[in-house]
Amino acid sequence: MRFYVKYFAQRLFQFLLVVIIGINLTYVITHATPIDPVEQSIAAVTSFGNTSPEAIAMMRQSLRELYGLTGGPAEQYLNFWRRIATADFGPSLSVFPTPVSLLIARALPWTIGLLATATLLSWALGNLLGGLAGYYQDRRSLKFVAILAMGLHPVPYYIVALALLVMFGYVWPLLPISGGFGMNIEPGLTPTFVLSILKHSILPALSLMLVGLGGWFLGMRSVVANVVNEDYVVYAELAGVGRRRILRSYVMRNALLPQITGLALSLGAVFNGAIITEQVFGYPGVGALLISAVYAGDYGLVLGVTTISIIGVSTAVLIIDLVYPLLDPRVRTV
Amino acid sequence: MLTTLGDLLRYNIEFRIGAILVGLVAVMAGLSLASPYSPMDTFLVAPDLPPTLTHPFGTTSRGQDVFWHLTFAIRNTLAFGIVVALLSRLLSLAIGLLSGYKGGWVDRLLMSINDTFIVIPLFPILVLFYFMLRDRMSWWVLAVIMALLGWAYDARLIRSVALSLKHREFTHTGIFSGMSTREILVREHLPYVMPIVFATTMNNMNWSIGLEVTLSVLGFTDISAPTIGGMIYWANQHTALVAGVWWWIAFPVILIVMLFVGLFLLAVSMNEHIDPRSRLRRMGAGGA
Amino acid sequence: MESRAPLDCDRAARTRQQAEVALCVEDLKAYYRTRHFGVEREVKAVDGVSFEVRCNEIYGLAGESSSGKSTLIKAVAAAMRPPLEIVGGRATFRFLPGARSLNQATASQLAAIRWRKLSYIMQGSMSVLNPVRRVRCSFADFASRHLGGNKAAFQVRVRQHLELLKLDADVLDAYPHELSGGMRQRVTIALATICRPDFVIADEPTTALDVIVQKDVLDMVRDIQGEMGSSLLLVTHDLGVHAYMAHRLAVMYGGRLVEEARTPELFSSPQHPYTKHLIASLPRIGVDAPRIGLAGSPPNLAAPPSGCRFHPRCPLAGDRCRREMPTMIAVAADHRVACFAVAGAGGTA
Repeated sequence: MRFYVKYFAQRLFQFLLVVIIGINLTYVITHATPIDPVEQSIAAVTSFGNTSPEAIAMMRQSLRELYGLTGGPAEQYLNFWRRIATADFGPSLSVFPTPVSLLIARALPWTIGLLATATLLSWALGNLLGGLAGYYQDRRSLKFVAILAMGLHPVPYYIVALALLVMFGYVWPLLPISGGFGMNIEPGLTPTFVLSILKHSILPALSLMLVGLGGWFLGMRSVVANVVNEDYVVYAELAGVGRRRILRSYVMRNALLPQITGLALSLGAVFNGAIITEQVFGYPGVGALLISAVYAGDYGLVLGVTTISIIGVSTAVLIIDLVYPLLDPRVRTV
Repeated sequence: MLTTLGDLLRYNIEFRIGAILVGLVAVMAGLSLASPYSPMDTFLVAPDLPPTLTHPFGTTSRGQDVFWHLTFAIRNTLAFGIVVALLSRLLSLAIGLLSGYKGGWVDRLLMSINDTFIVIPLFPILVLFYFMLRDRMSWWVLAVIMALLGWAYDARLIRSVALSLKHREFTHTGIFSGMSTREILVREHLPYVMPIVFATTMNNMNWSIGLEVTLSVLGFTDISAPTIGGMIYWANQHTALVAGVWWWIAFPVILIVMLFVGLFLLAVSMNEHIDPRSRLRRMGAGGA
Repeated sequence: MESRAPLDCDRAARTRQQAEVALCVEDLKAYYRTRHFGVEREVKAVDGVSFEVRCNEIYGLAGESSSGKSTLIKAVAAAMRPPLEIVGGRATFRFLPGARSLNQATASQLAAIRWRKLSYIMQGSMSVLNPVRRVRCSFADFASRHLGGNKAAFQVRVRQHLELLKLDADVLDAYPHELSGGMRQRVTIALATICRPDFVIADEPTTALDVIVQKDVLDMVRDIQGEMGSSLLLVTHDLGVHAYMAHRLAVMYGGRLVEEARTPELFSSPQHPYTKHLIASLPRIGVDAPRIGLAGSPPNLAAPPSGCRFHPRCPLAGDRCRREMPTMIAVAADHRVACFAVAGAGGTA
């Protein structure tokens, strides 16, 4: 138990390091650049017509306070951290006066739902197929899957999303291509609503999965091809242990361990993919929120989404890191 | 290194296909030097024409020949990817070799920072950069930013090679003969690391070009200079798909997918060749 | 390692049993064939090996690192993977009737034989046990299909066997990495002998262990072999281990056998120049003279020397040695040599 505490402390330290570096990076980008976000927002707002100079001056003042740009550098820095700690990013400029944190809170479940299902499904399926391909080297069907994987995996998320959009939105309009649920359906825990949610999430999830699956397949296939030559697998084969049992208890159990670590490392990249996928399909998650915030010049919202993304992904990684020792007994003793 | 490439080209089918795909894309980029149209001009030819003999890939809604515009687009995109890859190689090599060789607290510190950059979702950070810099974010600025953010994954791979080199005899000889750390890393270890650097360069190019395309499609980059993502951006702006001008999007996508898959195959076959276990497996399959 | 006579108990009874042959290897040839980047290579790792292992005996196989011992084991036990292939000869076990090699047995026959009739003790037991599961799972996976009975009965048998080998039953609940090297090797021996197989192959069973643990492990192996009455093919480069354990001993060089005899005789009167050198290079208490190294290096098995594989390094090499390959010929009872320079083995001098 003592050793698990040490491991937990190490992982927690890494988590804090990521969060601190990430948020500092965000701070540096927003405060050390030549563009003044206040002027930008004012320009965006006043581009529609005439506004009196006094109104502009007042706007400038309130925006400065809102964005935490008052006071000296030290004060700004502390304010920055205080706001993050309290999850208070001020009101959104594009959807005034809704607070940014509320917008994010509404969008976050959609993203988490989409990401969690798509990632876990593609990880599980990809590793399963990859494990079979690595163990049963001569199956034609799996070789075909390998070629598909090699063709799909390198393609960036945007292009896959676009292709799916074209295929199922224009060529065969079978599935809905925008929104999180049908616009004419009452939100609530009714079967029609839930079904509508599922229907609308198929294309975005499929888009994420097609890219991810290929990667896990190829990775697992190569790990398994090495594990199969490990002493303990060879020994079990010499002992006449059945192939199925060897695949399950000796090969897969051991090959999945590096794949779990790989899952943790890939979450940042998958999140990137989710952002653009949400944009393409108009899915109401934090990704689409971020993009629309940039178009609208909504400083508070952009900042809010960025910091929440950093904290969110790091938390997910921490969770996976903490689960790992439950599956690998060697880590439990240092 | 050259003999390795030659062997791979002759005997490894994935490498061959990858080389062919990348070669075709490179030829396309080279053709930009022969283009009769300037890339920055618009409305030079009749807009929205489907592919014909005079305009093999059709024309855009902005009156540009898709084929020749594409040559410039792919050239710029490719150049961008190469620049980012080269710049980030410097960082990856420096950190990977140093970390693997020194070990101890230097290694732990560098790897903690390394893992931080792997975990942090880079797309929001890039979006934030764009938000703050707007028009000041030229291609060079973007390239430098991406190089500063994209070294982490490859540094880890280089570090693992460096770890295995640390305990080899020639390293000890180098230390005993008074070579400085920098000399050992550059003169002795670097040649061993080159194959994996080659493989990671391909992957890095895929990563950076993928991000560039994604950012350009959203309009978050300097869209006046033609790039693949830029072409798709303008196509979307003119609702090309709805208007039926499918060739404006299809050809850039096909070309860039060729590049991505080609680079990936090169990287995969190179990696498989480097790993002695997988190389032995290939030999076994050949002789059985 | 003390050099005492390895066996003194019940010689008569054992001699009676030993009349039966447990393993018969006839002119076995196993090569590694690779074709990569347009270059074809054929490594003749085992090139025409013939010997017999009798029932209830410990047969030792000695030789240096590239002599082909490990390849021989893989070929005999049908544990080959490409690019290793058997190109000639065969190895037949007594428990598989019909004089067929293991490689020709059907899958169901193999499943019944493996571990029940034939088991292994591998080198470097650092990693022969599944690292993510407890030791008792390995026992269950390997042995329960042979020993039958429900779970409770099986557990009892496992504990009894461990007790016999003086191992604490706690070891079953441990993970492999929690055990020391010597402990792991002992557990592996218990695992290999629980089904009381007819034949056990031990490949460098003590190489990775320190000397004191080595002796314990070897004693354990010898005791259990005597108790089960099974045959043991012991492969190691350590001649001291052979002196301590083997009833009969063969020496391998360059993919072929060069000499085979009963252990006391091999040590007291070796005939082949290579064997003589090996024996002479063993440290002896009270002898201070420096050991002389053998010039040259082991042969490249992809392009072996013509004729006798040893002739480039042999002080007695003659013309015939360069041209012809010597075969194993009996020069005394139970003593075979493959050398033209030995009287009675086809040569003059």
